[in-house]
Amino acid sequence: MLKRHPTLHYILTRAGWYFLTFLVAVTINFFLPRMGPSNPIDIIMAKVGSGLDTKAAKEKEEAYLKEFGLVELDNGGAILRDESGNPVRTPGWKQFRNYILMSLQGDLGTSFLNYPKKVTEIIKQAVPWTLALQFPTIMLGWIIGNILGALAAYRRGVFDRLFFPMALLLSAIPFFAFGMLLVYQFGIEWRVFPAIGGYAGNLIPSLNWSFIGSALYHYILPFLSIFLILAGGQAIGMRSMCIYELGTDYVKYAKWLGINENRVLFYMFRNAMLPQLTGLALSLGGMIGGALITEMIFSYPGLGMAVLTAIQGNDYPLIQGCTLLITVSVLLANFTVDILIGFFDPRVKAGQKGK
Amino acid sequence: MDTLRFLKRFLAGLACILLVGCGKGSKETSKPAAGGDTEFPRALTLYLAGFQWGEPNTFNPLSDWPAFPVGGNFNLMYEPLMAFNTLTGDMEPLLARSFDKTSEYVSVTMDPRATWSDGQKVTASDVRFTYEIGQLFKNAPTAFVWDYISKITVDTITDSTANSLVEKITFLINKDRNNPLVVMDFLQNVRIVPRHYLEPMLEAQGGDLSALQKLKIDQNPVVSGPYNLLRYSGEKIVLKRRDDYWGNAALRGNRLPKPQYIIHPIYKSNDHFSIALQQGNLDVSSTFIPRIWMKAKDGVRTWYSKEPFFVPAAMTMFMINVTHYPLSDKNFRRAMAAAINYTDVRELAFSLYSPGLKPGLILPFGMEERYFSAEDAQKYGVSYDPELAKKILSDAGYTSEWDESGALKGMKNAKGEQVPTVFIKSPAGWTDWEAIVKIAVKSMRAAGIDVREGFVDAGIYWQSMPSGDFDLLLHAPNPSVTPSQPWSRLEAVMSSRNWKPQGEKMNENQGRYNNPKSKEYNPAVDKLLKQIPATADETQKKELYRALNAIFMQDQPTLPLVYRPEQFYEFSVANWKNFPSEENPYAPPQSPCFGAGTKALWEIESTNK
Repeated sequence: MLKRHPTLHYILTRAGWYFLTFLVAVTINFFLPRMGPSNPIDIIMAKVGSGLDTKAAKEKEEAYLKEFGLVELDNGGAILRDESGNPVRTPGWKQFRNYILMSLQGDLGTSFLNYPKKVTEIIKQAVPWTLALQFPTIMLGWIIGNILGALAAYRRGVFDRLFFPMALLLSAIPFFAFGMLLVYQFGIEWRVFPAIGGYAGNLIPSLNWSFIGSALYHYILPFLSIFLILAGGQAIGMRSMCIYELGTDYVKYAKWLGINENRVLFYMFRNAMLPQLTGLALSLGGMIGGALITEMIFSYPGLGMAVLTAIQGNDYPLIQGCTLLITVSVLLANFTVDILIGFFDPRVKAGQKGK
Repeated sequence: MDTLRFLKRFLAGLACILLVGCGKGSKETSKPAAGGDTEFPRALTLYLAGFQWGEPNTFNPLSDWPAFPVGGNFNLMYEPLMAFNTLTGDMEPLLARSFDKTSEYVSVTMDPRATWSDGQKVTASDVRFTYEIGQLFKNAPTAFVWDYISKITVDTITDSTANSLVEKITFLINKDRNNPLVVMDFLQNVRIVPRHYLEPMLEAQGGDLSALQKLKIDQNPVVSGPYNLLRYSGEKIVLKRRDDYWGNAALRGNRLPKPQYIIHPIYKSNDHFSIALQQGNLDVSSTFIPRIWMKAKDGVRTWYSKEPFFVPAAMTMFMINVTHYPLSDKNFRRAMAAAINYTDVRELAFSLYSPGLKPGLILPFGMEERYFSAEDAQKYGVSYDPELAKKILSDAGYTSEWDESGALKGMKNAKGEQVPTVFIKSPAGWTDWEAIVKIAVKSMRAAGIDVREGFVDAGIYWQSMPSGDFDLLLHAPNPSVTPSQPWSRLEAVMSSRNWKPQGEKMNENQGRYNNPKSKEYNPAVDKLLKQIPATADETQKKELYRALNAIFMQDQPTLPLVYRPEQFYEFSVANWKNFPSEENPYAPPQSPCFGAGTKALWEIESTNK
C-alpha cells in the first residue's frame, strides 16, 4: 500500500526516525542532569537548613530524600540504611523506570524546588507567555525578512543599497545586546515603553481591555528585540539566495522563453526558500530555550527562567519536563519543515516517486 | 493533488493543537480574582520586592519553604507570639502581650483579643498545636524546637489590668541544651497556625503530615495577620488588607494599615529592582544595589542618607577548613587575617555599605556593642597590616617565592616543602561576592600568601559547605537579627558539639574548627558556648562573651571580611512617604512586612491623592 503512496511512505519513515531521536533525547535528558556533582537535596537544605543544627538538618534531609523517592525504603516505609547508617540511594535505572512509567501516564512529577507544585502546572502557566511572544515574532520575522530580502535582490537600486547594510548591521547584533539597548533607550532614558514585565504591575491577567492593552504595550520592546534581528538575518540570507537564483540557467531560459515575469519570480522564490525553511525550523525549535534571555532582560513571564532555575538547582523533574517540551518542539518543528520541504523541493519529490 | 490536501489538513491540525494549547494555558492564568479585584490603584497599593524569587510554590504554613509572606519572618498573614525590634532589642506585643524569661522557662501571656480571620479566637491551643506538631512529626517545621524546650504548659490567670482571665503559656527549657536564648528566638520566628482549620485537614489526610504539606492552602486561608492572600502568579503575589484585623483596635489605636493592597512583584534580574525603584514602580526593595547614593535624585532612600546607608547587623566571612594544610596552622590563618585589605573590600566590593571592620566576631555597635571589648580587639585581634602578615609568615617558617616580574610563584614551609595553593570557593556569577574574593586574593597574594579564586556553580557551593569540601568559602553565617545574637553567630562558627570529619555534613562550624578528638581541642570554647545562653547576669555574660571572642581572635577559625545589614532596606518616596529611617526611627530598618518593621504599614502615607 505504501508503494502506491510515496508521500505517506516518506512521512512515516521520517516519523519513525524522529521517534527514535525522541527516545534517545529523553534518555539523555534523564541522565545528564544526574551526572553532575551537585544534587537537589543539598540545594534545598541550603534553603531550609539555616538555623538547624547538624542533627536536625540530617533528619530533615532524610525526610526529603524519602519524599522525592531518592532513597530505598523497606516494606514498612522506613529508609533502608547501609552499615554506617547512611540511607541507601535509589539507583539511577530504578529512577529512570519510575520516570518512564509516570511519564506514560502523563505525570511529569513534582518539582523539587517548587515543592509541592506539579511540573505540568508550572509549564502550563509559563508556556502560553513564551509561545505568545516567540511564535508570532519568529513567524513574522521570518516572513517579512524573506519578502524584503527577495525584494532587495530583485529590485536592487536604492532600496537595496539602503536596506542591505541595515539588515547586515541588525543581523550582526546579538539579540540580547539589542534588547538591553532598547530597554535602556526606550524604557529608562525616554520612558516611552515599559522596561519591565509582561503587563503593568497593577493588573492581573484577565480578559478585559486594560489588561490586553497593557500586555500589548509591554509586548512591543521584547517583540522588536527579537523581530528586527531575526528579520535582518533572514533578509540577508534570502537576498543572497535570490541573487544566486537570478543568475541560474533556468531563470535565464525562462526569461528567454518569455514566460510571465511573476511566474519566474515564483519559481525563483520557491527554490531560494528551501534553506530558509530549515532556518525557520531551527528558530522555532530554539524558541523555548532562547526565551530565557528575553525573559531576563525584560522580566517577561515565560518558561525560560523556570528552565534556568531548574538547571541551577538540579530540580530533576522540572528539568525533565522542560527538556521534554524543548525536545518535542525541536523535533516537531523539524518534522514539519521536513514535510514542507518534501512538498516544495521537486528533487525530494522526485526521490519519493523513484522509490 | 492529494499531497496538497494533506498539507492543508496537517497545517489545520497544527494550528488546532497550538490554539488549544494556548487556550488551555491562558485559562489557567486568568482565573477570576477573588472579590473581583483586577486593578490596584497606585494610591492604595504598596509594592515591595526581594523576598520571593521565582514561582511561588505553596502558601502552606506547615511546609518548609512556603512563598512570601508565609515563609520567612513576615508578619502579614500568620503572626508570631511577639515581634523583635532589631533596633531597640525589645520584644513587642503581637499575639502575646508580654513575656517572662528565667533560666527554667520562657513564658508568654496571650492577648485575649486576638482572633483568626474566621472570627475564632487565637488561643493557647493554637500555640500548642503549632509547636507540638513538631513533636509528632520529624518533617514538621517546628520539629527542631523540641531540642530546646521540654514541655509546654498552659495556665489561666487573672489579668490584673483588665481583670479578665488570660492564658499564660510556659515553655520549659530543655536542660540538654539549656538555652533560653533560642527559645526567645522562637517567640518571634515561629508563626502560630490555626488549629481548628489545620487539624481537621490533617485528619482528612489520614494523619499524614507530608500529605498535608502537599496542599497549597492558597484559597482564603484562615490567618490572624493584617493581610490575606488575594491571588498570585509567576509574576506577582497580591495581598489584600483585612479590615477586620484584630490588631487594628488592640495594637494600633483603631487605625487601618494604609495600603489596601500589597503587591510583591517577582523580577527575573537584579537590575530590575533598581530600575523599578527609580521609576517609582516599586516602593520598598531589599536587594543589593551598588552605589545607591546615585539613585537619590530619583527618590530612592536608605536608612542612613550617608555612609554606611544600611544598618550593619551581620558579617560576611571566609569560612576556613582548618583540617586542610596549611590552614591547620593558626599562624597561617592569622597572617591571612592581617593580609586582607578590608578597606578595599568595603569600598570597592561592598559599595561602602559597612563601617570599618574591627577584629572579632561581635559587632562593635548596636545591640551587640555591650559585649564588645575594644581593649581585647586591640590586644588579640589583627587588622590589615601586610608587613605584620609577612612577619607572622616568616616567624612561622614560611617563605614566599616570587618570579622576576614580582608575581608570587608559591610558598615553602620551614621544612622546605611546597605549600599547597589555597582556593576560595564562592558561587560564580554573584558579582558582589566575586568582587570580595578578587580583592582578598589580590591583597593576600601581595603579602606573599598563595591564594586563588575558585568560583563554582552555586549548586556545588551549597553542597561543599556542609561537607567541608573547601579551603576557604565565602559565607554569611546566621545573618538574621534575633534575640539570640551574637551567641548564634559564635555558635555557627565555633561550636564543635556536632563535630564530624570532612565528607560528613555539619550545619554549623563547617570549617571543622576545634576537633574534640584532637590533641589541640580547647574545651573552653564549647563550655563558653553552653554557658552564655544560660547566663542571666549581664556583667557575667559580657565576661563570657569577651573570653570567647578572645579565643576567636587568637585562633582565627574564620576570616570576617565586612559587616552587612540583615536586609538591604531601600525605599522610594515617589508614591509613599514616612518610611522609617535614621531621622524617623519609629520602626526597625526592615521592609514593612518583616518582623517588627511591619508596624510601618500603619504610619506610611500615600503621596497620590
